[in-house]
Amino acid sequence: MTWAWLIPVLSFAAAPLIVVAGRFLPGKGSFLAILAIAAGFGLFWLTLSGFLEANTSTEGCARIVSAETGKESGPLTCQYEKTWFYAGLPGLEDSVELTWGILIDPVTVVMLGLVTFVALMVQVYSLGYMRGDPKFGWYYAVHALFAASMLTLVLADNFLLLYVSWELVGACSYLLIGFWHERPAAREAAKKAFVVTRIGDVGMLVGILLLWREVGSFEMSAAFEAVRNGAIGEGTATAAALLLFLGAMGKSAQFPFHVWLPDAMEGPTPVSALIHAATMVVAGVYLVARAYPIFEASGSALLVVAIIGLLTALMSSTIALVSTDLKRILAYSTISHLGLMMLSLGAFGYTAAVFHLLAHGFAKALLFLGAGSVLHSTEEQDVRNMGGLRRVMPLTTIVFSIGALSLGGIPILSGFWSKDEILLAVSQHRNVVFLILTLVTAFLSALYMARAMFVPFFGQLPAKLEHVHDAPPSMAVPMALLAVLAVGFGFLAFNWPGEYVGFGGFVFDAKPHGFEFLVWLGAISIVLAVVAFAIGYVLYIRGAYRSERERAGKSGLVKMVESKYYIDEVYQWTIDRLVLIFANFIGLFDRAVVNDLAVNGPANTVRHVGIALRVHITGHVYSYALGMVAGTLVVAVIWWIVAG
Amino acid sequence: MVPLVYFQLLSAALFVIGLYGVLARRSAVLVVMSIELMLNAVNINLIAAAAHLGYRSVGEVFVHFDGQIIAIFIITVAAAEVGLALAIILRMYRNRGTVNVDEIDLMRW
Repeated sequence: MTWAWLIPVLSFAAAPLIVVAGRFLPGKGSFLAILAIAAGFGLFWLTLSGFLEANTSTEGCARIVSAETGKESGPLTCQYEKTWFYAGLPGLEDSVELTWGILIDPVTVVMLGLVTFVALMVQVYSLGYMRGDPKFGWYYAVHALFAASMLTLVLADNFLLLYVSWELVGACSYLLIGFWHERPAAREAAKKAFVVTRIGDVGMLVGILLLWREVGSFEMSAAFEAVRNGAIGEGTATAAALLLFLGAMGKSAQFPFHVWLPDAMEGPTPVSALIHAATMVVAGVYLVARAYPIFEASGSALLVVAIIGLLTALMSSTIALVSTDLKRILAYSTISHLGLMMLSLGAFGYTAAVFHLLAHGFAKALLFLGAGSVLHSTEEQDVRNMGGLRRVMPLTTIVFSIGALSLGGIPILSGFWSKDEILLAVSQHRNVVFLILTLVTAFLSALYMARAMFVPFFGQLPAKLEHVHDAPPSMAVPMALLAVLAVGFGFLAFNWPGEYVGFGGFVFDAKPHGFEFLVWLGAISIVLAVVAFAIGYVLYIRGAYRSERERAGKSGLVKMVESKYYIDEVYQWTIDRLVLIFANFIGLFDRAVVNDLAVNGPANTVRHVGIALRVHITGHVYSYALGMVAGTLVVAVIWWIVAG
Repeated sequence: MVPLVYFQLLSAALFVIGLYGVLARRSAVLVVMSIELMLNAVNINLIAAAAHLGYRSVGEVFVHFDGQIIAIFIITVAAAEVGLALAIILRMYRNRGTVNVDEIDLMRW
């Protein structure tokens, strides 16, 4: 597994190659990106098999050894690193060695699978979706760079490398949201995404530096060891965990940083599928999962994670219910599910969160690709103008419905199992209020999924959409493959007979966590999901939906939700009334004090003294001669007085 | 033997007249002439002192020629300088149509 670093490096190599040589290659070099990520996907299987065969005697692999009992616990973790550079001269006591390194543990392996697979699917899909775009080559170059950065993020074994790739994925996200930068909305959305996530990243950087100060190393394993043996106190652990969580909140669009994600839908739809649904936005969840020992050391940090997650999930699922833009419905649904993952992490549901991350990643990528297929052929984003598309786009309808039913929590599909795991974790570790609100979120989530599925695809087909055609093969095949996973991925959760111990047994943090199923909880969740889809059917197909346009604006509650709880307005007000005024004051200070007084001041003084002194430069030879005479006379007189 | 001080008085008078000419005259030609006058005042001073000192030191015989040598150098340099100065003045006149030093203030601030 020492060669696992190849997985991101291949894509890293593809990106500049496409930029430089893409225009001379067939397909503008897109096949380079696809080949690189396909090779990455192949290497993922090798990594998986290598990891399954590995044990503690394999090179670089170890389990945590408890100090008291001497017993091995925790998952198998393999770490390989090389010196990157020294801060300070090597060999000296105060020099710091920084390393490149990869860390392979179960979470890394499953994330590798998710990222390489979804990226491969989306890049193949984009062949059809982006065909004919003038910046086709650039699109694939940034895609390759994104894939490489995301894979580095997943593999990084130290916080510094993680932070570097963390910012790189942010930059790629910025480039791809603003891909059609001719449109002002895309430009604004790109800037918004970059700035909002940057606010969280500052916190994350401070957290990383705090850990470095306490541990003296950027390495994650060192930090976790320090937390375990008590070198880091609970207060410091809480501070570090919360600061890291700030970065995770920005990236994973948790309240109050969620505002960038819906706007990010201005980018091409495959980008939304890959970056803003399946991979980059789950980086925050991944970060919390990766740094879980630090969070676990501090109960209050986990409580904060749970509360923020629940709040985000509840809030955004209500907005998703009234949003009219198909992509934005999916975006709010993404935020809601990210909130559920955070909630699960905050409720000690480590494996549930990772499992839901994967199940949601496949299903949501599928939904976005389906939505992209709709937008591609109808060129329409508003669900109010759609309907009955199942007659003209049968395949898209089937795969989209699978994704929606899966995320809505209909049994047997993968979303049901993962949501059930989360409910289980919440019911076991948090109080009943959390559980009820989570169930409400689950119900809402099924309801808006029913809406996103029924409104565009069922009911009456508008006349102007009758010419619409289904997705071409390059788009259909990735959707079909993702649909298979959206259906069947959940079966990995069980403890199948034989050696397989279930997903929870593979991905676990401190102790193996097998599959559990509480009958009463499962029954409630099934009833809620089925009822939600039934209500959705009645509301959105039996005509109740048609009156929605009139209803909007009448009820204050609906109005508030439709305005996204006025959060954007509050931010705008804050920026206009507070930030800009403060910025103007700072600007004034800069101009008046720093520029005029401190910088130009001395220069002006010198200039004025020069103007005052220059009057003796008359340009007349005789005035200089007079000066010489006067000078000589003065010298003579002095000499006469002194020498007598 | 005329006492040295008369020569020095003559020299000083010529020098001051020359100085006055340099400072007060408007015409560049007259300024150059005044400079010549100052140079010659110095020459008189040097030769008088040389003759006086040389006579005083070894009876009737002149043995110190330093003053005379410097005076000859000064005459040579003065001749060269006049040639140069007149050429400059000529160019000045060609370019600006005047040799009035009041109007020549190109190096003013």
